[in-house]
Amino acid sequence: MAQVIVVTSGKGGVGKTTSSAAIATGLAQRGKKTVVIDFDVGLRNLDLIMGVERRVVFDIVNVVQGEAKLSQALIKDKRVPGLSILPASQTRDKDALTKEGVQAIIEELSQEFDYIVCDSPAGIEKGALMSLYFADQAIVVTNPEVSSVRDSDRILGVLQSKSKRAEEKKEPVKQHLLLTRYDAARVERGEMLKLEDVLEILAIPLLGVIPESESVLKASNAGNPVIMDTESQAGQAYSDAVSRFLGEERPHRFLDVEKKKGLLGRLFGGRAA
Amino acid sequence: MSATARPASPPEVFRLRASNYSLLTLRLLSGDVQAVLPALGDQFRRAPGFLRFAPIAIGLDDLGGEQVDFHALIHGLRALEILPIGVVGGSQPLRAAAAGAGLPTLRPSGQRETEVEAPSPVGAPPVNVAPPVMAEPPRPAMPRTMMVTQAVRAGQRIYAQGSDLIIIGSVNAGSEVIADGNIHIYGALRGRAVAGASEDGEARIFAQNFDPELVAISGFYAVREGLSSTPIGRGVQVRLDGEQLRFDPLG
Ligand SMILES: Nc1ncnc2c1ncn2[C@@H]1O[C@H](COP(=O)(O)OP(=O)(O)OP(=O)(O)O)[C@@H](O)[C@H]1O
Ligand SMILES: [Mg+2]
Repeated sequence: MAQVIVVTSGKGGVGKTTSSAAIATGLAQRGKKTVVIDFDVGLRNLDLIMGVERRVVFDIVNVVQGEAKLSQALIKDKRVPGLSILPASQTRDKDALTKEGVQAIIEELSQEFDYIVCDSPAGIEKGALMSLYFADQAIVVTNPEVSSVRDSDRILGVLQSKSKRAEEKKEPVKQHLLLTRYDAARVERGEMLKLEDVLEILAIPLLGVIPESESVLKASNAGNPVIMDTESQAGQAYSDAVSRFLGEERPHRFLDVEKKKGLLGRLFGGRAA
Repeated sequence: MSATARPASPPEVFRLRASNYSLLTLRLLSGDVQAVLPALGDQFRRAPGFLRFAPIAIGLDDLGGEQVDFHALIHGLRALEILPIGVVGGSQPLRAAAAGAGLPTLRPSGQRETEVEAPSPVGAPPVNVAPPVMAEPPRPAMPRTMMVTQAVRAGQRIYAQGSDLIIIGSVNAGSEVIADGNIHIYGALRGRAVAGASEDGEARIFAQNFDPELVAISGFYAVREGLSSTPIGRGVQVRLDGEQLRFDPLG
């Protein structure tokens, strides 16, 4: 049976799609057969970030409505073997998805894949609920700011009560925190929340901290998941996160402002957690 | 094994058990529904969320010969998110009217269940009635404490009806915890806490790390803006002193 992972946040624009693309790619790079599904019906972003927007013929709504077979809608990634993308529709709205339809898709994908990564739309409305309903694990994407943390907290409550696992009183959805767009300098200046403050409020295990990095925008403009940019800190941080997800130990990096080697830097530098 | 085929007894699908529940009772002091509902509405606006969806009994003992429009009452209570499930006490005609509106008569499970239905002839000497035999000895009211072992998250609401509430984790901003008794929070209180929700002015709120959006006891509340002089971020106990909330450091 495949593991269903939802990448969710409540708040919009925090890096769900960036993270879904990176993590799905990272899992496939490590030999796991992985499919990433775009649940953001109406907006359709994942295919751009994955660089497959020119290969989209059918989408998830076509499959749910019986207009296409799943195999026709799945796009195989050309860079990483074992990675597929199920795109969203730009011309329909979220009501086009039904629970039964999504369940059928997930069951069919489960036959073939090890991981099904669901890129959730923002909000806590139908589309977001649909994307998290079948989850076994949740990666909660949060930025170090108050409103993002609050929305993540809200989504954690929703996972506790509205997921299939919750409804069926099964073992709860396994939760991971992914803190993204972490800008160490702004945290140091007190303009953003510290990692420990976020952890204190959300009280779930930390999967990783992804630094704010220009390479993310560059990568998505080029249609390459940023995890493939092994030079960039964001790429490396995603790589670490995937390793942790698979149970390996990795120290957390990029938490502090890069310092000059001088005495002042050492005196005033923060300490790595 | 016996050769005679006997139909297997069908699997048990239900059991009937007598149980005792503690219920809030809304004692009507007036039969005028149009006067009662706005007053209730006001009360609930003072402590938003309090009693929400709580089942309650309607006490009729304080009404004389008044009529009550039970249909209007039920409708109005539901609009306030209060769920009436029956009536207690009151005269026979009132109870009949309630039953007609779908509110059965509830029997209190205490000694006071002695009221005799049949009208006794006026002036007849009091008959010495032996106390009715009770199926179970009355149990002392010992409400269990409700215990929450997880964080209470934004958007969640927890109501400990008729009991204290203990929360091991934190009560996060955007969440609400309500108890008819005391509230103990071993993490941080960053959301709302409403203690003594059924008008218990003795109830208190304790929090290890006091940083709330709102606290209320028995309908008296304070929002964060009014808490500038309280020890925010420390261990605090909140209690009601007259009509004033008091905030004292813990320990
Ligand atoms: N670590 C990062 N550093 C810099 N920019 C980032 C980082 N992560 C995401 N971004 C940028 O933030 C924006 C939003 O990212 P993304 O589309 O992944 O968010 P989302 O949560 O999927 O948004 P939506 O809620 O609209 O679906 C994009 O412009 C992206 O390039
Ligand atoms: Mg997105």
